[in-house]
Amino acid sequence: MRSLAARGVSVALGAIRALDDVSLEVRAGRATMLVGPNGAGKSTLIKVLLGLVRPDFASFELDGERVAIDNEWKARIGYLPEAVAFSENLTGQQLLRFFGRARGVTRAREQAVLDRVGLVAAGRRAIRGYSRGMRQRLGLGVAILSKPDLLVLDEPTSGLDQQGLSVLWSLLDEWRETERMVLVSTHDLALMERHVDEICVLQEGRVRAHGSSEDLRRAADLPHRIWFDIGESDDEASRTRVRLLCEAMEKWGRGRIERRDGRILVEVGSDDVLELVGIQAGFPGVVRGMRVEEPTLDVVYDRLLGAA
Amino acid sequence: MMGRVGRALLLHEFAERTRDRWVLVISVLFALLAWSVGLYGRNAETDVARLTGPSLVTLASLFVPLVALVLSHDAIVGERERNTLGLLLSLPVRRYEVVVAKLVGRSLALGLAVALGLGGAMALSESSGRSALVALFVPTLLLGLAFLSLGMLVSSCTRRQVTAASIVVVVWFGLAFFYDLGLLGVLVATDGGLSQTALSALVVANPAGLYRVEMMQVFAGPEVLADLGVTTGLPSSALVASLWTAWLVGPAAISALLLSRRRVV
Repeated sequence: MRSLAARGVSVALGAIRALDDVSLEVRAGRATMLVGPNGAGKSTLIKVLLGLVRPDFASFELDGERVAIDNEWKARIGYLPEAVAFSENLTGQQLLRFFGRARGVTRAREQAVLDRVGLVAAGRRAIRGYSRGMRQRLGLGVAILSKPDLLVLDEPTSGLDQQGLSVLWSLLDEWRETERMVLVSTHDLALMERHVDEICVLQEGRVRAHGSSEDLRRAADLPHRIWFDIGESDDEASRTRVRLLCEAMEKWGRGRIERRDGRILVEVGSDDVLELVGIQAGFPGVVRGMRVEEPTLDVVYDRLLGAA
Repeated sequence: MMGRVGRALLLHEFAERTRDRWVLVISVLFALLAWSVGLYGRNAETDVARLTGPSLVTLASLFVPLVALVLSHDAIVGERERNTLGLLLSLPVRRYEVVVAKLVGRSLALGLAVALGLGGAMALSESSGRSALVALFVPTLLLGLAFLSLGMLVSSCTRRQVTAASIVVVVWFGLAFFYDLGLLGVLVATDGGLSQTALSALVVANPAGLYRVEMMQVFAGPEVLADLGVTTGLPSSALVASLWTAWLVGPAAISALLLSRRRVV
């Protein structure tokens, strides 16, 4: 499977338009992150893809061909619901046995999955004795059991400790490397950013922005912060060179310049960063070090949603 | 037809009930209660089956529906509350299959509990009391399955497990306890104006009533019922079979329909 797309998805729940003409395409070898405030429609969109919510209108495509959401479609998807609470009396092994039977996978695969999510030692223990993170890892195990083409994860970072996060990151990497697809709904933008290729921002049931993190940063049009380390010097010649550099930057006129404790801070748009670096190169020996800060994805998100 | 997911769910439902000792607890409780009733019959110097039979019927008509409703009330709503219903329905399975698999899986657990309970009571009883317990098995199972089906319906209609639990308690009180009292009230209110046929029809319209009348006929015989003023006999075997089928299939079918038609899970 190379791509899976939902087009023109519209869902009205009573008077509320949960989704309004939303389109989303997930491609092989790529992970897409769905973000948005509570009630934006993330979970509804996921549920539409899983056949759990019947849309008023939608069309679905598999490798460009129109399909219906049927059992064949569902067999290709592995799902981790948000805040899932498995039966407390079962052991991890027994839970995987049930889903293994349902998915038609071997016991060897079930054991391999337990190992993959780091629950071999706890496999024979009842779920009631599992920590929140262990339950979440077990849920991840259920989702990947049949090596689905599309992995759909709703708030996967919830409750995960560092070990759990490492498991999650390695799963996301594996799915991308093996040319499968991932769709993640999350509020942990900063945590997930490095592990996804595309971001779809939903707001009030509509797609507000869609693209790579760079695309979104560009769309948000927020300045990069460039820190030039110039040190403190009593040497008159050095102070003069620093003054001349500041004057050159001010004359350039593209960013906001500020001097702070032996550093120069310049806020410029992403397109102007290289030119600014070029200006400082004209004053050799003045700048001892440089750090470029991109706007964080949280800030970009706030800007895109109109909160900043 | 049931697919792979349905079969796995059926097995899972049965295994989970047996694994958490639910079947064992109910079996022991039922066996002890049935045995106690048998003891009472043994002490009386009369036909044991004729004496203990009706007592066992009364016991079973109260105990088994309660057990069946408790067993089934969380089948769907419990999954919904744990957020696992979506996960279950995201598997390649038709929604009605989920209801059928859960119903059959839990029915097997109930059947095992009733069989072990009555079997235990038989093992503890003297041979003269065993015939009553044997005669009780199939109708008691049918009674349990009818209430299991009702519990599934309640579970599909509700959004919270506590609501489902409250409703099944009301259903149990209504059908197993107060239904006959209600009919008595109607008779008093109408000053006996209700015809015998209408009264009989209303009695057997309730699965607990149908069970009691059917079993009373077995243990006490039609002449005793006539002595008690019941002048019309039981409905025909075909009608009885239809009534049981309706109670077994009807609520479960509505439950499956409701889940299948639900737009948002």
